[in-house]
This record gives sequence, structure tokens and C-alpha cells, in this order.
Amino acid sequence: MATSVGAPRHAGPAARGMVRSLLLTLPIVLWSLVMFFHPGTSTEWQSRAAATVTAVFMTVLFFMMMRTGTTYRWRRWFFVALGLLFPVGFIHGLLVARGSMGIPVEEMIAGRTPFCFMPIPTLILPAAFTRTIAFPGSIAGTNHGIAVMAGLWLAVTLVIGKGWCSYACFFGGIEEGVAAIPKRAEIRKIDSRWRYGPWAVLLAMVLLSFALFEPAYCIWLCPFKTVTEYVAARNAVGLVQNAIFILLFVGLVIVLPYLTKKRTQCSFFCPFGAFQSIFNKTSIFEIRIDRTRCKSCVVCQNACPNLSLSKESIARGETLMSCMKCGACVDACTNHAAVWHIKGTDVAVKPERARLMFLYAAWAMAVMFGGSIIAQGVATILHFVG
Amino acid sequence: MGEALALGLASGPACVASCGPVLVPALLTGDGGVRPNARVLIVFLGARLLGYLLFAAVAWEVGALAHLEPGPRMMLTGAVNVTLAGVLLWYAYTAKHLCGGSCSGEKLVTIGASAKRRIPGAAAMGLLTGVSLCPPFVAAGFRAAQLGSVLLALLFFACFFLGTTVWFAPFAGLGCVVRNQAVVTVARMTMVLIALYYLLLGIALLMGRSGYGY
Amino acid sequence: MKLRSALGYTAAGATVLAAVLVPFLLMGMFSKGVVALGLHVDEMYSGGPALRVIQEGAYTITIHRTVYPHMLQNEKPFVQMDWGPVSALPARVSDVVDIDGDGRPDVRVSFGVPSDAKAPLHVDVEALSGRYEAMQNAGKEKNSRLIVHVDNSILVRVPLRNP
Repeated sequence: MATSVGAPRHAGPAARGMVRSLLLTLPIVLWSLVMFFHPGTSTEWQSRAAATVTAVFMTVLFFMMMRTGTTYRWRRWFFVALGLLFPVGFIHGLLVARGSMGIPVEEMIAGRTPFCFMPIPTLILPAAFTRTIAFPGSIAGTNHGIAVMAGLWLAVTLVIGKGWCSYACFFGGIEEGVAAIPKRAEIRKIDSRWRYGPWAVLLAMVLLSFALFEPAYCIWLCPFKTVTEYVAARNAVGLVQNAIFILLFVGLVIVLPYLTKKRTQCSFFCPFGAFQSIFNKTSIFEIRIDRTRCKSCVVCQNACPNLSLSKESIARGETLMSCMKCGACVDACTNHAAVWHIKGTDVAVKPERARLMFLYAAWAMAVMFGGSIIAQGVATILHFVG
Repeated sequence: MGEALALGLASGPACVASCGPVLVPALLTGDGGVRPNARVLIVFLGARLLGYLLFAAVAWEVGALAHLEPGPRMMLTGAVNVTLAGVLLWYAYTAKHLCGGSCSGEKLVTIGASAKRRIPGAAAMGLLTGVSLCPPFVAAGFRAAQLGSVLLALLFFACFFLGTTVWFAPFAGLGCVVRNQAVVTVARMTMVLIALYYLLLGIALLMGRSGYGY
Repeated sequence: MKLRSALGYTAAGATVLAAVLVPFLLMGMFSKGVVALGLHVDEMYSGGPALRVIQEGAYTITIHRTVYPHMLQNEKPFVQMDWGPVSALPARVSDVVDIDGDGRPDVRVSFGVPSDAKAPLHVDVEALSGRYEAMQNAGKEKNSRLIVHVDNSILVRVPLRNP
């Protein structure tokens, strides 16, 4: 499978005039004002400035999506910013709270381990059998509490399904940014069977987490422990665990994305992504291939950062269930055969309407969740600088 | 023996949890269909029972059924984990021959001989999980040690095993999962990951370390 | 076909509406729903609910319910005891504790209380009733066997001898 991802070489099918683009962006302007400046937000100048910068950033990106009729490269700016700025705010918070990125056992006993969405699928079986959450956090009460994160995940997934992986996940942006750096991929042939990797990691982690009654992925395999928080190692086993995190991060998030121009951690490893793929079945939005226009040039397949298109799926006129709805294939297709689609409607009939409706939902989530994280990261930087 | 059966029934979820990481991917790399799947499952469970009984008999003879010292226990568990890792890796490797050249990516052609290749692997895995000293097994051992003779202890274990086996019945349903390139590949990759975990844990135990990094 | 299209657009519109409702309604609703499930954090981490409090002069000893391991957790059952507030503890604590409340002493727990809250702690536990394991100069060994300073208390976890 050959690979290459780059900015589309043509304007989208629905490039718009300035006025119309501004009008379509207006809801996002209002949404951003509500999200970033509602009563109760911090009045410190750093927070206000960060909120303003982020609101403008998100609004401009959406405007460009409307103006150019393309999605992928503008969404990518947001996603990379999210991936880079999340660790800034998060690590700063850890250093302020406990002076270290490592979680000691005291913090686990106190229930102050921050909960992220990644262990959600591995906690289901233990909870179903014993009504117990096998994670050293707190159910309620804090921003990083299990109930808050689970509620957020459920709500956002209800809206955008596996679009989470393109508009909400605060980890994927690092590798997406790295993948964008080189002009062309060094490794262009990738065995398509590697894309089953996330399912294998998911199955292994679900089974091991149930057996060991612990968040096995967090303890053994999460590459992003390298840029967030990790268990404070006190012995050789702990050192091995941390070495695994670092190796996986360097390999899957830096080196392989650079060599392949693909989101390799997401495509070949992330168990949460495999879990989210299930929700593509329930999502009303999808990307389809109009077979009447498709000339089987497989540009879309090459453009996909997640290997979510195959010759067989293109022949069926659809993406694989791992599709993240990033829009790369739609933007890359020179024949406008790859289109946004609402299930139940005719394919390629008013695809821009489908795109618009999806983007309003997805960008609302992006502003609400990712935008707040970006703002926090910017505010952290301003605190140091100011 | 009713007590043994009840203990087995109560311990079922823990037994399923402990065998799941080995059994689920092993079944998914096997032939599709409820019958071939059930065949592998029966071999696995039979070998697991054999493991229970062998361990119980030996432990009774050396007076270690009620309590095994932490040191030897860690060594035994470590050795079992390392061996199990090897079996899992071998099983995952040989599963590629299920596909061969006739795997079109849509449906797996059922190859009769493959079922025979799976049996020794299933037996080895069952035997090793049977001697892996999971907590329910230890609890049963403690109770069995209070019985008057080794035969009664073995009978206790057999009844305990029956109680736990009830919980394994749903695994036969994995035979209904269609076997195609995706399922077999995922199952093989899963086995490798789980094997690596057992290998790491086994080496740590053999070195006298607990499995904790903090 | 028109009905399907109409349904599709309706669902899409509902999804956009749902997106607007996420921060104001849905997220809170789902979070409360998770809380309402009645799940609790694994007691291997949290230490189990407090059962009773023993007053020892200016400080108290809180006894928690025995915690048993789940599935294949490589832990023994244990009891957690909390000494607090730390400011009221003497420089050296040595208390005989009746853990199960049967009127007979179960363990003697001895540990030093350093002035630096971040200094490592070590505990000696003398088994008096045979039900609990003795510990010598134990630090943070396992979830079921440790001494740690958490917030305003010093927590000691003593494993059961023969579960």
C-alpha cells in the first residue's frame, strides 16, 4: 500500500465567497464566545488572552474550511495544536500539584490519579462483574474524575462517533504533526494487516485487565505516558514499564509517522481507536465513495492517514470502520468521488450539506473540549512568559 | 463435595478471568464452527483438570497443598508463565498455516488437518493454566489439604473443577465468530502481546521480583 | 427513498442539536448516570470503607473493612488503619490495636513520624492474635502491605495471615 498525505491540490467542490463563508462561520463565533467567556471563567489576564487567542484560532480555521471547501489541513492545525499544548497544561498541573510527573502510590490511594478516556474499554468487564472500577481514581468530584470523563466521552461519541479520533483526542495530534513534516514518505508499502493491530491490543488489554483487575494498558503499554503522567518507578519492573512507554512513543509517535506520513500509533496500535470504531456503526455521518465518479486512482487510499480505505472498500463505495472522518480522502479526490454523507440519503447528492452538518457538530465538540485544552496550554505558557 | 462444587461455581469468574487471556485468542485462531471450537475447548479444559490433579497430588505428597512458601511459589509461577509465553508464541506462529495461500481475506477455507495441529497447543495451554496457582485454586488447595487422604483431595479438586467449568460454557459460542483474515490476524497478534506480558512477568518472578513497578 | 432521506436528515439535525446540548445538558446527565450506577473504585486502591474509630488521646485510629483481592490480583487480603491527624501524633507511635473489635489485641503497630511529610516511612507490625502478618521495617511494598502518608493521615495496611 503506497502512502502519501499532503494538502489537496485543488479547491474543494464548494469553495465559497467571503460573505457566505463569514455567515456560515457565525455560529462558531457565537459558540466560541459562550465556551470561552461564559460567567465563571478565569479573569486572569493570561487566561483571558489565551481564551481570546484560542477562540480566534478555532474561528479562523472553521472560516477557512468554509472558504476553501476543504477540511483536512485546517482540522490538522487544530489537532496538532491540541496534541502539543495538552502536555504543556497537564504537566504543569502535575508539577504544581505534586512536584513530579510520576504518580506515587499515595496519590493512587487518595484517588487523585487523573483519568483519561483510554482505559474506558478495559474497565467494562471488571465493572460488569464486580461493580468495581479497576482504576486508582475518584468516581466523582474533580475535573479528572472518572464520571466526568466518562460522561464527556459518552456525550461526544454520541455526536461524532469515531470522529473523536480527529476532533477530540488530545494524543493524536503529535504524530499527525510529525507525519506532516516530510514532503514524501520513506516507507511507502505497508502491509494492510498491521491495521488489525489496534483490535489485538484492545482484546489483549481487555482480557488482561479483567484477569489482573488493573488498567493494564495504562500500566504497561500507553506511549503517551511519556508526555503525561506515569507510575513513579521504584524497581526494575517499573523501569521496564517506563522503557516500554518511551520506546513505543519514539517508535509509534515520532519515527514511524515521520517515515510513513501516517498516524501509525492510531492506525496500528491504539486500542481506544479500535473501540471507537464500533461507534462508526451508530454515527449518522460517514464518508462514501461515489462509484459513478470514482476512477479507481486510489489517491484517496494513499491520502488516508489511517489506512481506512482499501481497494475492496473503495469498490464497495465505502470506508473501513476505522475511518476517523478527518476529510483527507475527500480533499484529495480529484474527481469529487469521495464525499461526506448522511446515512439514509443518496450518495453524492448535496455532499456539502452533509459536510456542513457534520462540521458544525464536530467543531462544536472541538471548540468545547480541545479548545479548552489549547487555551489552558496557552495560558500556562503565558504564565511563564508574563 | 458439594462444598467443592459451590466453591468452584463461586470462583468461576476468577477462573474465566485467569484463563481468558489464553483461551480467547486460542479459540479465535482455530477453525470456525461450534463443533471444532468445542473440541479445542474440551481439550483445554481436560488438560486444565489434569494440571489441577497433578499439582494437587504432588503438593499433597510434599505437604505443600495448604501452604506453599512464597519463594517456591514465585519460582513455580514464574516458570509456568515463561513456558506459557513460549507455547502462546508457538501457537500464534503456527496459526499462519491455517491461512496459507487460500485465504482470500473474506472467508477462511476450513482445512481439516489444522484442527489436529491445534490440539497439542490447546492441551499445553490448558495444563499450564491448570498449574498457574490462581487464587481460587489456592483457596481450593487450602480446603482440600484438610481432607483425610490424597484421593479425597483429588476428588475435591475434580468437583471444584466441575463448578468452574460451568462458567466456560459460553466460550463455545466463539465458534460462531466468522474466521477470516481479520479475526485470525487479530487473534494471533493478541496471543503475541499476551505472551510478551507473561514472559515479562515470568522473568520478574524468577528473578524474585513482584510484578509491581511502584 | 424520500422517507429514508428525511429520516437521515432528521437524525443529522438531531445530532447537531445534541452537540449544542453536550456542555449544557448531556455531559452532566451522563456523568450523573455513571455516578448513579453505584460503582466504586477498587478497594485495593481506596482501602475500603471505614468501619470504626478508636480514640487514642489527641489522635484517632480509623479501622477499615478488610479488603479482598479480585480475580488474579497478586495481593493478599488486608486491613487498612489510619492514624490522624498527623500533627497530633507523637514522634514515635506504638499502639496495640484490636482490629476486629472482639476485645482482644490483634497487632502492635510501631512507626516513627518524621517532621518532613515527604520522608519515607517504615512500620513494624507485631502479630498478637495470629490473624495478621507480622511486618518488619516495611515501607511501600505492595498495595496490601505498606505505610504511607496521605493528606493528614498515616495509613498502614496489614495483610491477613491465612485468608
